[in-house]
Amino acid sequence: MASPSPNPDWSPRSWPRLVYRFFTSFKLATVVLVFMTLVTLLGTLGQVEHGLHAAKEKYFHSFLFFDKIFGIPVLLPGGLLLMILLFTNMTLGAIVKVKKRWKGFGMLISHIGMLMLLAGGFVTWAFSTDGYMALYPGMKSNRVESYREWQLEIMPLSKEGVAEKAWIYPAEQLETMMPDEPRIIQDDSLPFDVVINGYAKNGTPIPTSAPMAAGVTGKEIDGFKLSPQKPSKEAEQNLPGCFIEIRPRDGGDPIEAILWAGSYRFDPREKPMPFTFTIGDQLYGALLVKKSWTVPFSVKLDEFIFERHPGVSMARNYESRVTRFEEGQPDKPLEIKMNEPMRHSGYTFFQESFGPSGAQPGDEMFSQFAVANNPADQWPLYSLIVTGVGLAVHFLIMLVHFTTRSRKRFTSNPASA
Amino acid sequence: MSRIQVFQPFLPLLALMLASCGGEDTSGFIERPLSDSEKEFRLAETSMDRFRYSTSPSAAAGENSGGGASGLAYEVPEGWSEKAGSMMRDLNFTFGANGEGECYIARLPGAGGGLSANVNRWRSQMGAQPLSDEEVNALPTRPLFGQPARFITVDGTFSPGMGSNQTFPNYRLIGLILASDAGAVFVKMTGPKELVEQNSAAFDQFVSSLGVNAN
Repeated sequence: MASPSPNPDWSPRSWPRLVYRFFTSFKLATVVLVFMTLVTLLGTLGQVEHGLHAAKEKYFHSFLFFDKIFGIPVLLPGGLLLMILLFTNMTLGAIVKVKKRWKGFGMLISHIGMLMLLAGGFVTWAFSTDGYMALYPGMKSNRVESYREWQLEIMPLSKEGVAEKAWIYPAEQLETMMPDEPRIIQDDSLPFDVVINGYAKNGTPIPTSAPMAAGVTGKEIDGFKLSPQKPSKEAEQNLPGCFIEIRPRDGGDPIEAILWAGSYRFDPREKPMPFTFTIGDQLYGALLVKKSWTVPFSVKLDEFIFERHPGVSMARNYESRVTRFEEGQPDKPLEIKMNEPMRHSGYTFFQESFGPSGAQPGDEMFSQFAVANNPADQWPLYSLIVTGVGLAVHFLIMLVHFTTRSRKRFTSNPASA
Repeated sequence: MSRIQVFQPFLPLLALMLASCGGEDTSGFIERPLSDSEKEFRLAETSMDRFRYSTSPSAAAGENSGGGASGLAYEVPEGWSEKAGSMMRDLNFTFGANGEGECYIARLPGAGGGLSANVNRWRSQMGAQPLSDEEVNALPTRPLFGQPARFITVDGTFSPGMGSNQTFPNYRLIGLILASDAGAVFVKMTGPKELVEQNSAAFDQFVSSLGVNAN
């Protein structure tokens, strides 16, 4: 790398060169690596206070964040910014700027491997999804539910409680709502508008007859108040709630309700319980449900094998026998065990857990799979192979260079041996 | 071109930004068909059902071990009388010569109002100062349904509230609060200080006997 001139030219004409010099400097790489070590340490410690998901978001998926170091608030670069800086620095400094010589060929390959690792991290952050699928034996599904994201659904219902379609207010929108922010949701094909208000990321409806309702401010609807709670450290445990107001467009009286995520199902056989209302002759339901998406094949749980340690309720082993159904493909029986996931079409099904909680020996149990879709799933392995090959090539070149030089020295001056 | 004219192309954007600063924001729905696993719903008749509140009172009084409609298994300590439950009390007991001591269990879905809020609500009923979150988190724990629950003990003048203006001096409150995935559980005992002291072993025995009825 070129050393900076003693009197740098600061005129606008030289700015691109200065920027290039900044991003290719070895000093930048050193500073970034020091900050990465610090952020990793803070993030690891932060998991205790914030929980895993919140710590990942704050320390590693951010450009900047505030943290207290010895009680003093400090603005620090987040993992995302540091990764981008390191990627830019390595690309420009170690790939573009560096002189291409035989001696540096191995290091060039190693740096490409490290860039692959950083790029894989970015692809994982930007494009991966994770959710779960819970099935009782005999159940079949292609739908994956989010652990943490909730959305609002409005559905026209039959008298038997069946709906064919739903109008969805997406989780990405709902999560941006502030507690005191009203939002009107409209659709021309619905005869009413929906106003969402008082959104709480975590909340509990409390009957006004309960002593603990006395301290809850806010509207009382149908004998309940919505008590906002501090979000849980484990984001999956948060149960959001909100107030909704249905405003009929024909000028009818508005209908108010509290919606709470706890009305959704906690068990794959359970039916969700929407708030129901009638506009005209049509029955509608409104409900907070988990965001969900489909995978391009279905999975049927044929058998769930669950073994307990003798005399206690602790699980010793659990595994699932499933059949995978896919259009145009023969049905495929498979086993999903701990550390033996099913990988197919870019999706990985891990044996995650089981339920229901408190199930006694002999009770029927469901199996829960963690379903991950990460386009960069195998990139860390590939990058390690490339980096390892690069280092091996580098050591080989160095060895050849050393032995050649030693031989030359020996032949030019045999007495020195 | 005046400065205002320069900004003209940005006026619609400015109007949109101003509109979003106050009042109600307007957005839209996304319509989609429901898959087979999403089509069926349970039409809950009341908010009580929809929010998963049990309305079943406990088993009738007078049995030495319970397991009635509350879905709980437990042993009734000697000298305690079981009373009918209520909407907010799954199990309800009295003790003492005139039934002046009381112990009950309440279960709520979700966090049940939060640990700190409930600890301080109980403390305020005894005329005690509220605790900070840190102090609440430092309270000792005891097992309840196999999980660590915060143990609270407060002496003072008991004001039950709930429409009653009566106060009871020289009382003691002991209780456990458990916030778990399945909801919040409260076990609370109140009574004259000496009587509660005499029944503290019975309280421990009752708490350790608690379980979920398998049937």
